[in-house]
Amino acid sequence: MNKGMVFGGRAACFLPIILVLCLTRNSNILPVAEAIWLTIPSSGTKCVSEEIQSNVVVLGDYYVIDENNPDHIPTISARVTSPFGNNLHHNENATHGQFAFTTSESGNYLACFWKDGSHQKDSELTLGVDWKTGIAAKDWESVAKKEKIEGVELVLRRLQGIVETICGNLIYLRDREADMREVSEATNARVAWFSIMSLGVCIAVSVLQIWYLKRYFVKKKLI
Amino acid sequence: MAKIWGKMWALMGLLLFNSVCNVSSLSVNVNNIECVYEYVLYEGDTISGNFVVVDHDIFWGSDHPGIDFTVASPAGNTVHELKGTSGDKFEFKAPRSGMYKFCFHNPHSAPETVSFHIHIGHIPTEHDLAKDEHLDPINVKIAELREALESVTAEQKYLKARDTRHRHTNESTRKRVIGYTVGEYILLTLVSALQVIYIRQLFSKSVAYNRV
Repeated sequence: MNKGMVFGGRAACFLPIILVLCLTRNSNILPVAEAIWLTIPSSGTKCVSEEIQSNVVVLGDYYVIDENNPDHIPTISARVTSPFGNNLHHNENATHGQFAFTTSESGNYLACFWKDGSHQKDSELTLGVDWKTGIAAKDWESVAKKEKIEGVELVLRRLQGIVETICGNLIYLRDREADMREVSEATNARVAWFSIMSLGVCIAVSVLQIWYLKRYFVKKKLI
Repeated sequence: MAKIWGKMWALMGLLLFNSVCNVSSLSVNVNNIECVYEYVLYEGDTISGNFVVVDHDIFWGSDHPGIDFTVASPAGNTVHELKGTSGDKFEFKAPRSGMYKFCFHNPHSAPETVSFHIHIGHIPTEHDLAKDEHLDPINVKIAELREALESVTAEQKYLKARDTRHRHTNESTRKRVIGYTVGEYILLTLVSALQVIYIRQLFSKSVAYNRV
């Protein structure tokens, strides 16, 4: 599509700048390297969600990308809700924003973005969203400063964190599988019971029918 | 002198490590077509990921065609394509750097929720560094280790998404068992009551006394 080609052409110019910025850790100037881009339609909202366990740190960063007119960037509104409906972050009329929270309940966390009413052009908006959960949201620079480690040791410490996350994920998956297995087995037992009961209901109802009709005919002196 | 250079290479490796960990894992509602863009820094990077259609509320279960998934390169041509699937993994090498477009197309009118995970992985090679630097093998090994761990994490995310879909199916089965069985009992009693009423009516005096 045309949009992809426009981005491709301009991104080729950005590439050396991005490399330099990434290597010098100035990623907040042009944070394109780590985020995904979404398109927000001219009417309606665009929502992204993720199912997250409890006690997990979530970091989010969103910014509007508009290459057509860089001095008049359209604004959006954003809202982040927890699975129980609590409003965790709300922002109106902004071109960029950040949110950070620790999940208290496990469930589906929803982040919704929509265009503000002031820019009613029929054009789609591109929004960059940087959504990090768990180990990716950890601030390794402060860990490095606090414990005075650097270089390969810090990298290996990060890898150890990733391995611990993998273990935690496996345990979580195992627990979910156990829950689902219980539901499956309960449904299995229910199918058997309800089918036998259905047969019983059928027999009982037909016995009642015959008994009632026989009584009726006897009353009417037809038998 | 060698110690300083060693620290510099380690720091360079750390910076490369930080800047190329590109992972995104989200769920999005697909009404007709939904596209996600992700930037690939280096040519030859491995783009890997998976997606699962989670909210699959189908009735009969056998004839839903699934959704289509396409990846378009910055030049606009389709690099990877998967048609009519309800969830799959993908992995390919990026032919060039730039902004890649990952699109999900839903051919049906019912909206679906798609849970996807995209990872751009990079192993440092000789091309990344300047001419007078050379590659420290430890950085390559660390990058490969990181990529292996990322593939395990991606597989776990895939399993989690499929487990969510399985859970939806199980919940739906449970509700159907209860709902349809209770409905069946009520219908059975209703039909037999109607039968009795009808037979009574056949024998009533007001309608043709000698007919039966």
